[in-house]
Amino acid sequence: MLSWLDGNLVSMIDGVAYGLLLFTLAVGLSLVFGMMDVLNLAHGTLYLLGAYVAFALSDGSWLGLLVAIVVGALVGVAGGGLLAALTQPLASRGHLDQALLTLGIAFITAEVLASFFGSEVLPTAPPEGLRGSTSIVGHSYPTYRLAFIGIAGGLAILVYVMFERSSLGALVRATVADREMVRAMGIDTRQVLFGVFAFGAALATIGGVLGAPILAPGPGIDETVLVLSLVVVVVGGLGSVPGALLGALLIGQVQTLGVAVLPTYSPFLLFGAMLLVLAWRPQGLVSLVQRA
Amino acid sequence: MALRIGSGARVATAAASAALLLAACGEGSLGGDEAGASGPVKIGLLVPQSGVYTALGDDMRNAYELYLEQNDGQLGGREVETILADEGETAESGRAAAQKLVQQDQVLAVTGVVSSTTINGIVDLFEDGGIPLVGSNASPTTLTDVEYIWRTSYVNDEPGKALGAYVAENVDGPVYLLAADYQAGIDEIEGFKETFLEAGGEVADEVYTPFPTTTNFQPFLANLERSGAEAVFTFYAGGAAVDFVKQYQQFGLSDSVTHYSAGFLTEGGVLDAQGAAAEGTFTSMNYSADLDNDVNAEFAQAYEDEYGMPPTTYAMASYDAAQVLDQAIEAAGDDLTSETLNEAIGEVGEIDSPRGTWQFNEQGTPVQMWYLREVRAMDDGFANVVIEELGELG
Repeated sequence: MLSWLDGNLVSMIDGVAYGLLLFTLAVGLSLVFGMMDVLNLAHGTLYLLGAYVAFALSDGSWLGLLVAIVVGALVGVAGGGLLAALTQPLASRGHLDQALLTLGIAFITAEVLASFFGSEVLPTAPPEGLRGSTSIVGHSYPTYRLAFIGIAGGLAILVYVMFERSSLGALVRATVADREMVRAMGIDTRQVLFGVFAFGAALATIGGVLGAPILAPGPGIDETVLVLSLVVVVVGGLGSVPGALLGALLIGQVQTLGVAVLPTYSPFLLFGAMLLVLAWRPQGLVSLVQRA
Repeated sequence: MALRIGSGARVATAAASAALLLAACGEGSLGGDEAGASGPVKIGLLVPQSGVYTALGDDMRNAYELYLEQNDGQLGGREVETILADEGETAESGRAAAQKLVQQDQVLAVTGVVSSTTINGIVDLFEDGGIPLVGSNASPTTLTDVEYIWRTSYVNDEPGKALGAYVAENVDGPVYLLAADYQAGIDEIEGFKETFLEAGGEVADEVYTPFPTTTNFQPFLANLERSGAEAVFTFYAGGAAVDFVKQYQQFGLSDSVTHYSAGFLTEGGVLDAQGAAAEGTFTSMNYSADLDNDVNAEFAQAYEDEYGMPPTTYAMASYDAAQVLDQAIEAAGDDLTSETLNEAIGEVGEIDSPRGTWQFNEQGTPVQMWYLREVRAMDDGFANVVIEELGELG
């Protein structure tokens, strides 16, 4: 048991890092889908934008990283606002039209980015102080990933407190639950919707900026990230912050510890896990901690 | 009765004349590849100019153009009109481009081709059409029994084959095999095992990582570390090679497990992206920019002057393809057709290449020396440095 733990400890820690990265991506997708009923297939593109911002602005200094985070967040807010505005007229036309529009935007943006940054995967260096590796009970682990766990973990707690414990969060949750009633109380729900879209998009681009040294920008990364986020949303449950967090941490472990334990089945693990959760809890893992 | 014989004979005569006429027309329609004794010859250059293989395509195009430039724009004493076609990244785009070269442009011969799926899809086009294809990269193990398709590169499983016996003799302990899960990765591991097991090597485990979805190699590296293997043999190329090599170092494997790989892992642009993480990696390849021979000294210098980077094996193979065409066109002389050119290619004999001398075997691939290289820090970044010869293959 102890040797098993020793052998897989690093995989479990990496699962947390990976899970938190997925959380920053999936939470926006989940809230937008849950609240606005908009299926945004351009969500992976936001990660890619953030990662390219990190590549372009990070010069190995702390200031460079800070600038990249600020610019990334602005790009996210702008991108989210734009997507919200574009999908608004399609609100009554169902998911297929939204999917077509946002997928089209994703393809166009991907081509434009490829023509700017080329078709190679561009590795992004973290700040000098976070390069290299740290020893965890005799195993090397990249220092940046440890720092990432700290930062993204803080971000996750912040988002959780904001949505679950603040009055602003209560308003958002109320909009998810019953939009008509919130509107009847004299609140402009469109503003709430735009706000959530922009916030979720900014989280995804910040995830891209911070995640670039782990999952480097390149053609096809937007699709990889989109598929993972969709799986997290399905596993976790729609429109819920705790659900996205649970789903992301589970998928993180499946993608690291799961692959380490069952390498032969690694191509099937992701969707296998989704299938099991769907069969067991069709509403997603969030139904374990919340009563609908 | 007599009437019937007569009409039968007339029909036969008519049929025979029609056949002759058709044959003549056939000859006529094939006139495009009959370059005759004068005028420029048309050569098709089929390389990717878009998609994920663009970097390889650029290397190949650069080296081909360098050869022409060094030879006054001539091959075999004939002016050359090069027609560039974009292979793209799929079998469909590659086939469409090849068809255009052969059918519309009616080229004498074609060179290039990066992707194995492309070459698999255009075998019939060249074999049935009787047009020589002097390929300079793609060479899957399944491509055998061809008459018109030549390759100046290698067969896909040869980098592994070249390294197997060496690793078996020099590594004291089990060796872990890890590769991307697609045809090239499987070819490479099979090639490695062939010579490695024969030389008494011990395999710790054989694992394939999902391709192209794997970007986080941590779980695979954790298993590798836990296996207690002394060394690992891998196959990765392109973006996956960058991710893999960086993570191999970050997770501390480069200090404890010796890394052997097929040369693609650290070839060309990917090495710049890997940087210090690649230091100490051993790879096998049929070429290295620092090879010590006169032809290479001249070629590597000229290439670096022209394009600002050392030549890759992809560039070198394309340079050699131009050289093969040069010698074969000269040998075919005045009676230059695709047919006579193909015969001449088969008889070019030894080629004085930047990689050392080599010649075609019966399969149309090179019999050549393989080298063990190590990634070392140089004054201006990192480079593959030849350590020793691994022996001839082909």
